[in-house]
Amino acid sequence: MTTENTCNCAEMQEEELYPQLDEVIAQHRGKPEDLIMVLHKAQGIFGYLPKKVQERVAEGLKVSLNEVYGVITFYNFFSTVPQGRHSVKVCLGTACYVRGSQEILGKAQKELGIEVGGTTDDRRYSLDVVRCIGACGLAPAMLIDDDVYGRVKSTNLVNIIEKYE
Amino acid sequence: MESSRAHVLVCAGAACVSSGCREIRDAVVNKIVEQGLQDEVKVIETGCIGSCDLGPLALIYPEGVLYQKLTPQDAEEIVLEHLLKGRVVDRLLYKEPVTAKAIPSLKEIDFFKNQVKIVLRNCGVINPQNIDEYIARDGYFALAKALTSMTRDEVIDEVIKSGLRGRGGGGFPTGIKWKFAAQSPGEIKYVVCNADEGDPGAFMDRSVLEGDPHSVIEAMAIAAYAIGAQQGYIYIRAEYPLAIERLTWAIGQAREYKFLGKNILDTEFSFDLDIRIGAGAFVCGEETALMFSIEGKRGEPRPRPPFPAVKGLFNAPTLLNNVETYANIPAIIMSGAAWYAQYGTEKSRGTKVFALAGAVNNTGLVEVPMGTPLGDIVFNVGGGIKNNKKYKAAQLGGPSGGCIPIQHLNVPVDYDSITELGAIVGSGGLIVADEDTCMVDFARFFLDFIQEESCGKCPPCRIGTKRMLEILKRIAHGEGKLEDIDSLVELATRIKDAALCGLGQTAPNPVLSTLRFFKHEYIEHIVDKHCRAGVCSSLFDAPCQNACPTDQNAWGYVTLISEGKFKEAIALIKEANPFPAVLGRVCYHPCETKCRRAQVDESVAICSLKRFASDVDMAAYPAYRPPVAKPNNIKVAVIGAGPAGLSAAYFLAMKGYLPTVFESLPVAGGMLAVGIPDYRLPRDILNTEIKAITDMGVEIKLNTRFGKDITSKDLFTDGYRAILLATGAHQGQKLGIPGEDSKGVADGVTFLRSANLNEIVKLEGKIVVIGGGNVAVDAARAALRLGAEEVSVLYRRERDDMPAYTEEIDEAEHEGVKIYTLVAPNKIVAKNGRVTGVECTRMSLGQFDKSGRRSPQPITGSDFVVEADMVIAAVGQSPDLSYLNGDGVKVTKSNTVDVDLRTLAAEQEGFYAAGDNVRGPASVVEAVADGKNAAMAIDAYLGGDGLVPNAFRDELVKTVVTYDETEYQKERKRADMPHLPLAKRFRNFNEVVLGYQGAAAAIEEAKRCLHCYLREEETPVEEEQQEV
Repeated sequence: MTTENTCNCAEMQEEELYPQLDEVIAQHRGKPEDLIMVLHKAQGIFGYLPKKVQERVAEGLKVSLNEVYGVITFYNFFSTVPQGRHSVKVCLGTACYVRGSQEILGKAQKELGIEVGGTTDDRRYSLDVVRCIGACGLAPAMLIDDDVYGRVKSTNLVNIIEKYE
Repeated sequence: MESSRAHVLVCAGAACVSSGCREIRDAVVNKIVEQGLQDEVKVIETGCIGSCDLGPLALIYPEGVLYQKLTPQDAEEIVLEHLLKGRVVDRLLYKEPVTAKAIPSLKEIDFFKNQVKIVLRNCGVINPQNIDEYIARDGYFALAKALTSMTRDEVIDEVIKSGLRGRGGGGFPTGIKWKFAAQSPGEIKYVVCNADEGDPGAFMDRSVLEGDPHSVIEAMAIAAYAIGAQQGYIYIRAEYPLAIERLTWAIGQAREYKFLGKNILDTEFSFDLDIRIGAGAFVCGEETALMFSIEGKRGEPRPRPPFPAVKGLFNAPTLLNNVETYANIPAIIMSGAAWYAQYGTEKSRGTKVFALAGAVNNTGLVEVPMGTPLGDIVFNVGGGIKNNKKYKAAQLGGPSGGCIPIQHLNVPVDYDSITELGAIVGSGGLIVADEDTCMVDFARFFLDFIQEESCGKCPPCRIGTKRMLEILKRIAHGEGKLEDIDSLVELATRIKDAALCGLGQTAPNPVLSTLRFFKHEYIEHIVDKHCRAGVCSSLFDAPCQNACPTDQNAWGYVTLISEGKFKEAIALIKEANPFPAVLGRVCYHPCETKCRRAQVDESVAICSLKRFASDVDMAAYPAYRPPVAKPNNIKVAVIGAGPAGLSAAYFLAMKGYLPTVFESLPVAGGMLAVGIPDYRLPRDILNTEIKAITDMGVEIKLNTRFGKDITSKDLFTDGYRAILLATGAHQGQKLGIPGEDSKGVADGVTFLRSANLNEIVKLEGKIVVIGGGNVAVDAARAALRLGAEEVSVLYRRERDDMPAYTEEIDEAEHEGVKIYTLVAPNKIVAKNGRVTGVECTRMSLGQFDKSGRRSPQPITGSDFVVEADMVIAAVGQSPDLSYLNGDGVKVTKSNTVDVDLRTLAAEQEGFYAAGDNVRGPASVVEAVADGKNAAMAIDAYLGGDGLVPNAFRDELVKTVVTYDETEYQKERKRADMPHLPLAKRFRNFNEVVLGYQGAAAAIEEAKRCLHCYLREEETPVEEEQQEV
């Protein structure tokens, strides 16, 4: 990907998403116990949870920003940095481990050129590990976005990943 | 259900969805419409049928035929053949792994046959998205029964009497928990379902929620009625989107049908349910943490008491059970406690669902009565270990659990028996590990998980497990110390005592459990820097070399062959092994078992390539001779010219010694010459390799019996500085049955020796061989070649249990040897002192013995006689150590030479021993390794460095090949060596396995190597910062 066309369109698009967030917050206003649900929805809208989103949620649900940040960093599902368009998650559950998922992960890191938790420069992929997606019967398994891939081999990994534009 | 002629149930569990079941459903529906069958046949999407490994699956009723591993292309055949013409499509049926027999009916497949389904009663049977189907299977009848005909106390009482215990892992009696929650004062109470199934390797809760969501909803309503709650929550992990979707749908339907909401079934009772979605924190499976998370907070646990039943969600009394526990409730209320309690053991009633995964043939969900022996689950339901590997351990209970080794396969799987062995039933993850799993690395894996998932609130868990993890990483990197084991135990004990919640308290379990049963693996990593499983890659260059007892650099010679460098290859081979032509023919090649290529398609034919290199070398002139150090004129005596003795002499000669080998037989080679028949190992090949050894200055004195013709005293007087005993195991064991002394009964080794020394040249009639090892199979094939009309092998266990190499058994059968398994001899039948037959009993397999094989038990009244003109008893060999008289060398209880197994030195100074007379009958490659190790020990004893020559490795490990590797990494069949046609084997001892025909075939095969030795820069164990 070339860098000359960089613009701040990503941020501009983000601005346009705030009305959606406000709608969500309105449904849960003043209910601190709904914090996790709201964060799920917010991340669904933005793809991650930037500081501004956190502030708005805090204000709307009447909890401190400190608490919102505490919850976000506690749970693996929430991210404060932007993610790739596609999330590649290699399962490191026990069954997958026994069937060689470590090797799959190594191959994925090598092919994508990123470490676990990283995002490729073109924002196409983020790479992560998950601890058991319950597809143990198909170990080793991998998750790309919501699609589960079973019996992954290091030789067919690239073909699978490349399907995601 | 509407009345249809047939139903096609397509499994839509998450595993099948990911294997593409939706496309199959669509294709089947299209074909049905195309054929105009839509009014007669109904296609239904069901929950998980259980056998995830076989997916995508379809089950066709009324016949109950199961089709497996479907593709959309199969739809046409299913519709045209099965649904239209009523003919079962054989091609798509499940095949029994051992016999490859197609099994049409679900009920006859081992995986399903041994199960009892209570929790999973509706999974794979109904359409989970249709409440009417649930109701048609007595759904919500239990709720109606409870609400209209039972008091709250009666409901609780029924649950108590059923003996149901918490299926989430704790095993606390469910009814008692309900009673506490019911007795707790409070206007507002909650029922909560823990569906945060976080234990890696457990997925039964997900399957229940996806396949039968109403059973959980119904159970929660019953529980709410019993304890007096009005609101419930299901806390489900975000990783289960399909389960969330189906559950949401089901709750909506239940509300619509008024099973949830105000005045349920027109009673006073009101109850509603909401879903809360987790956000990826393992600790939220802990009940106090889970409740904080429902409240929208960080899921950190708090100390108990107060227990949730007293002070739980939003500080109100709360009843918390997991999905599987709830799924039992409607069945218990409907059919009664007594019915439920008939399953299982006294203290663990009912059934348990296990998520069977890992190295077994059939993976998936299985529901069995509590108390089912572990071995039955692994071998009957699970169909045994994948790829014919060996069971090592079953891991139960996830990161809080432990592992159960092979000697405990008979353990009944119930709460108490499993706990006694240091594991827990836990949530039911049952992961089978085979010989390729390193137990140190396994422990590291779980601690890594715990470290990642520790919430950090209490220091014992946060810091303690970190310290443990660091120690384990050190050990796995070969930098461990023996004291580390004590530190691990101490840390583990402290963490167990001091951690705040269940996660921390049980975190050390995987370490303690592996230390309990696999301490030897820790010690091997620490002392020998060896990982037997071939996992801890800091300890070796490539798994093939790591697996070889002789430490043969297999990756090196395979790479050299791939580049056409055959001379270099043989030089490398001979640096570690004097017998490449022999081992290239008779080795059981553990290197290939560990070859990583097998994960792509098949292992590289490493052993055949070794044979190729040595065959090329033998044909060359001059053949390769390894370099010999400057002679030091020190004499060493080696007793026995078998593979162990000759190898020792070879390495001693290499190091400059003057070894003399004393052999009692008229030929050199030991078992290689008088045990293995010519058709497997031609004598001239053996002799060429022995000649290479004598060329290096080794002297072999034949017909010289130690202890008779020459004694240790003579040798020491004669200037020999050390004596190596390598006399093998040449004494055949007796059958121990009546009539054994009749004429015509021989033992296997004696028979093979006579045949190999040409003392027997012709046989006639029917020959019966008793035994299942390599000697038995060699004897059988030799007997056939010597003219026997009929040769049968009798073995008391199953074919898979035969210790003989599979290739040899296959060839024997191919040549016409008949193999009868599950048959044991009672007595030899004789007439006038001469054998006429063997009286046998048929056996059945009972419990597992310590070696993990089922012990054969005689079937009474099944006796029969097999006719025989000759009986060969090949039931084991033992060393003959009668020559050790007055030498001061001790003999062990198992009749082997008593030596320190690390140094191979006997207590008596100057004496060493190697090979079968130390270990009992083992393989050639182990004998060669022993000979080599003994030579190095003797070298060290006599003032040398004791180091094996290793001149090539450092250069080789950098080798980058010149051909296009990627081309060869695609799937590509292994090139096996051609065999002599059957017709050409008749009545002769010509070699059966022929070498590669031409160098090109070998080079092509060698190029399949994945070059595991090439590594990226390895990061050293991090110097982690001290956390305070």
